[in-house]
Amino acid sequence: MPAYFDDADLAHFGDLKQHAPELWNAFERYYAAAFEPGLLTKREKVLVGFAVAQVSQCPYCIDSYTQTALEQGLTMKHLAEAMHAAASLRAGIALAHGLVAHNVDKKISM
Amino acid sequence: MTTAAPPSRFARRLPADDGVLRAAVPTTLQVNVGKRCNQACHHCHVDASPTRTEVMPDDVVDACLDVLAHTPELDTLDITGGAPELHPRFREIVARGRTLGRKVMVRHNLTVQFEPGFADLPRFFAEHAVEVVCSLPHYTEEATDRQRGRGVFAKSIDALRALNDVGYGRDPRLALNLVSNPVGAFLPPAQADLERDTREWLLAHHGIVFNALFTITNMPISRFAAWLRRAGNYDAYMARLEAAFNPSTVPGLMCRSLVSVGYDGRLYDCDFNQMLELGLEEGQPSTIFDFDLGRLSARPVRTGEHCFGCTAGAGSSCGGALA
Repeated sequence: MPAYFDDADLAHFGDLKQHAPELWNAFERYYAAAFEPGLLTKREKVLVGFAVAQVSQCPYCIDSYTQTALEQGLTMKHLAEAMHAAASLRAGIALAHGLVAHNVDKKISM
Repeated sequence: MTTAAPPSRFARRLPADDGVLRAAVPTTLQVNVGKRCNQACHHCHVDASPTRTEVMPDDVVDACLDVLAHTPELDTLDITGGAPELHPRFREIVARGRTLGRKVMVRHNLTVQFEPGFADLPRFFAEHAVEVVCSLPHYTEEATDRQRGRGVFAKSIDALRALNDVGYGRDPRLALNLVSNPVGAFLPPAQADLERDTREWLLAHHGIVFNALFTITNMPISRFAAWLRRAGNYDAYMARLEAAFNPSTVPGLMCRSLVSVGYDGRLYDCDFNQMLELGLEEGQPSTIFDFDLGRLSARPVRTGEHCFGCTAGAGSSCGGALA
């Protein structure tokens, strides 16, 4: 195996269907339905997808959602704002977990 | 024994059984008056630039105007380039087209207004009620300057204000339409969405109004194709265009309703075929001097793999999306 992440693999995502076709079909229906415009526009959902890809650190998804976002008329400036919004939330989440330490300390320290 | 060339991948996708795309009666004469331009944009399918010297000579200009005068079916004169305003007879061509009662469209790059002697262009356009079709790839400065060169966005904004000041975008007679090409190897966004975003942004941040925005797909030819190859994007972009083939775009393709005239008078099915030097099919008039509406109507259009650029996704034409 030459590399764990290869951009050429993205086109073969659907190859996974062969291992569990019914579950795969269910996933495809769910995924397509979730990204249909509703109260949120398609573009807003693409930005959610991009932000999730970014904080999940999935190279395939970042590649795919960057291209999709550009085809939605967004630019790297838009994506940078989304990236910082997601990253700042991750930073906040890390800090919020500090409450556990804070609470433990309060409980067991004099 | 000779065998016919197999149909191209594009021809095989056409709805017609014979793989032939047929034109209707042409209603637009699209005249490319030359390749000289004050800009040299990365996506330009004409390879236009300040160093180009091709300019439509007088006899070809006269023949175009003569055809227009004698062909009432041609209700629109679409003037393109290069920057068409740089042609020495540009204003005469516009005025004659209007005198003949035709709708006259000019493909205007905005920044040419700042070349010496062109500051009065907005007023000239307004006096002749020209439909102005302006290039503005994106409503953000960074994206527009990446495609068209540093400082182009700021100049474009000033030029749009000058057009607004003489009534463009406000007076119903003075149509100001924008054209947006993607800034890279991807398809344009939904036209209505980008038009809405651009309208809100330009009004809120620059006080600019316009009528419509047309999204146009970058064609994989000329300078843009060279960039695709250099950047290693050519194969993926072609695959993207082909995978996004949309048969519902075919009836509205611009080649079905226009005839394109090169600076040297040769006739083409579209401006893209012109740049590829793909003349009309054998048996058709080859130059403006042989123009014959009857023969040009229902003519077979010459197609190639580049045609996937006009049929991908929502489609692409001089008037924007098709589906």
